[in-house]
Amino acid sequence: MNRSRRQNWNTVNAASLARWIVLTAFLALTGLSYVYLTLQLYHLGDRKKALETEVANLRMQNEVASAQIAALTSRSALQRRLKEGYLKMIPIAEHNIVRLTMPTRNQEDAIQPVSNQRGAR
Amino acid sequence: MKWNSRTRCALVCLGFVLLFSAFSFRLIYLQMIKHEQYAGLAAEKHVYKQPIFAGRGTILDANNEVLAHNVPVETVVADATHLTDIEATVDLVSGELKLPRVEISEKLHGDRRYIVLKREVPKAISDSLRQKLRTQNLRGIYFEQDATRIYPNGVMLCHVIGFTDFEHRGIQGVEGSLDEYLRGQDGYRYIEHNRAGQELVLYRGQERAPRNGYQVHLTVDLNLQNIVENELDAAMREYSPKKATIILMRPQTGEILAMANRPAFDLNKRSEAKPEQMKNRAISDMMEPGSTFKIVTAAAALNEHKFRLDSYIFCEKGIWNYGGTPLHDHAAFTDLSVKDILIKSSNIGAAKLAVSLGDQKFYEYIRRFGFGERTGVELPGEIPGLIRSPQSWSKISITHIPMGHEIGVTPLQMTAAMAAIANGGKLMTPRIVKSITTSDGKTISTLSPIVLRQVISPQTASQIGSALRGVVSDRGTAAAAAVPGFIIAGKTGTAQKVGPHGGYEKGKEVVSFCGFLPAENPQFVGLVVLDDAQTKPELNYGGLIAGPIFSRIAEKAARYLDLEPHEEIRKAIPVERVALTNAPRH
Repeated sequence: MNRSRRQNWNTVNAASLARWIVLTAFLALTGLSYVYLTLQLYHLGDRKKALETEVANLRMQNEVASAQIAALTSRSALQRRLKEGYLKMIPIAEHNIVRLTMPTRNQEDAIQPVSNQRGAR
Repeated sequence: MKWNSRTRCALVCLGFVLLFSAFSFRLIYLQMIKHEQYAGLAAEKHVYKQPIFAGRGTILDANNEVLAHNVPVETVVADATHLTDIEATVDLVSGELKLPRVEISEKLHGDRRYIVLKREVPKAISDSLRQKLRTQNLRGIYFEQDATRIYPNGVMLCHVIGFTDFEHRGIQGVEGSLDEYLRGQDGYRYIEHNRAGQELVLYRGQERAPRNGYQVHLTVDLNLQNIVENELDAAMREYSPKKATIILMRPQTGEILAMANRPAFDLNKRSEAKPEQMKNRAISDMMEPGSTFKIVTAAAALNEHKFRLDSYIFCEKGIWNYGGTPLHDHAAFTDLSVKDILIKSSNIGAAKLAVSLGDQKFYEYIRRFGFGERTGVELPGEIPGLIRSPQSWSKISITHIPMGHEIGVTPLQMTAAMAAIANGGKLMTPRIVKSITTSDGKTISTLSPIVLRQVISPQTASQIGSALRGVVSDRGTAAAAAVPGFIIAGKTGTAQKVGPHGGYEKGKEVVSFCGFLPAENPQFVGLVVLDDAQTKPELNYGGLIAGPIFSRIAEKAARYLDLEPHEEIRKAIPVERVALTNAPRH
């Protein structure tokens, strides 16, 4: 009986089976890789977008900070702070100024200069 | 034909062939012949050309101090078709943006789909609103990136810098004249959206990077500008003139170091400014220059060798009838040298100098000094002034024009003319822009000084300069313009104000002083003009009002520029005494 059963069985061609298995596995892997890589591309795109947004935000913050610095260090702002007493400035007295070259006297045109008291305020 | 199974089978097959052929032809038609059209329609649905905005260039002064730059802001907009809960949105948006609830409600209940709720919203406020919208799950409100222009110095240099409109187009000052350099070029990127409106980075198409606007460097030095503005404000408080202008210029190059006008306005609150506050009077207002114009008359006469500096002219003892009209001097001068005509500011002497030249020659010199034409400074709205040709002069014009009447000049033209005297007779084109660079400092353009013409010989310029030194002395009309330690050359001007309907307005004067320092090697030329100063009539003269203002500015500017005093500081002569002894009519 065993013998007759064995006679009815189909023989399996191992080489052909192996070829099919390899081919199927290759196709499956190719498909999965394609899906994986496509998802990776989307993921990297999102990441790129997020980084671009982050850079843009940082740039924006930098611009806002620059604007604030410019506003706070502007001449008008400094003068306002000077008036409010937050800053102190002491004028340099004339006797503290040392000039390296002696003033030369112009002999040709000796017109008397006039000091302006009203202008000295 | 036998209607057997074979025939039926063949017919069915034929039917299928025809059907699929029809499908195939339709497919070919759609995919190949109509490809462009349908691809375009599809792209319109999901491809979007996203603009990438270029940043507007910065404006800087000569020392790279920032005068104008950008701050990122956002425009809050609504898409009416996306709104989920209008009432809740109205409550939230009106509270966050500090806008009346009714106004927001009206906008959101209107017919329009795209609704601008508020422009120029600071980033902090828009971030807070964005967060609250997300928390409350409210949709339909969007934020568009934008930028606004800010001017850190407010009022200072407002007429020169100018401003932009809400579409970021420069419309006044340097913002307007150099808009094409400051504006930059927007970029773009073709992107695709998914159903949720999010960008599919994978399908990004063609893109072009934006080119930011160039940086404009001005010749104006903010330190000198500050000195000028402070003195101008002090003068406004003291004399309450209708208008006032001060200009400082480097004579050798024509660079404008400072330019200020009053009334002025705050560039950051430009929407509140009145038209008369926005006018740059240094280039767009005409005035009769008065006696400061005598420098042109004297220069012309000396350059034509009609007289020497020490030639004497009889000044008719204070009254000269010419063309049936008497011409007056403020004192009964007899014989005055050409130098003394300038020092004492004799109208009759100046008129006689012009008469010796003749109408045509005198007119030629006026034009050679740059009057009657635009100076070409890089600012919009400059006027050429008003110089009539000799054919339309009256019989007495030749005696009135030499003392600065019957003509209209701009303050900048007058400064440029004085700068020509200070610069050995070379008339320079006034310049306000020093260079144009990219944001990383690469130079695009450097503007070199332009010599317009040699107006008078260097010898004549030197002679006039020498005479003008006497004006700022105890003998001259501008003693109060003196600065201890320096020799100043200058000329005063006092002209009756021309009324809006012609003729002169009684008691209203335009007083001015134009001078340079140091006289022997001029580092800057300055002009001070006050229109209708409110003071006693006996004090309403250029030498007594504009002169002291110039003196204070010159003193501070000399200190800032570290100019070395060339004259020993001698015992002071009080200005009041000088003012009493030299009645400076003009």
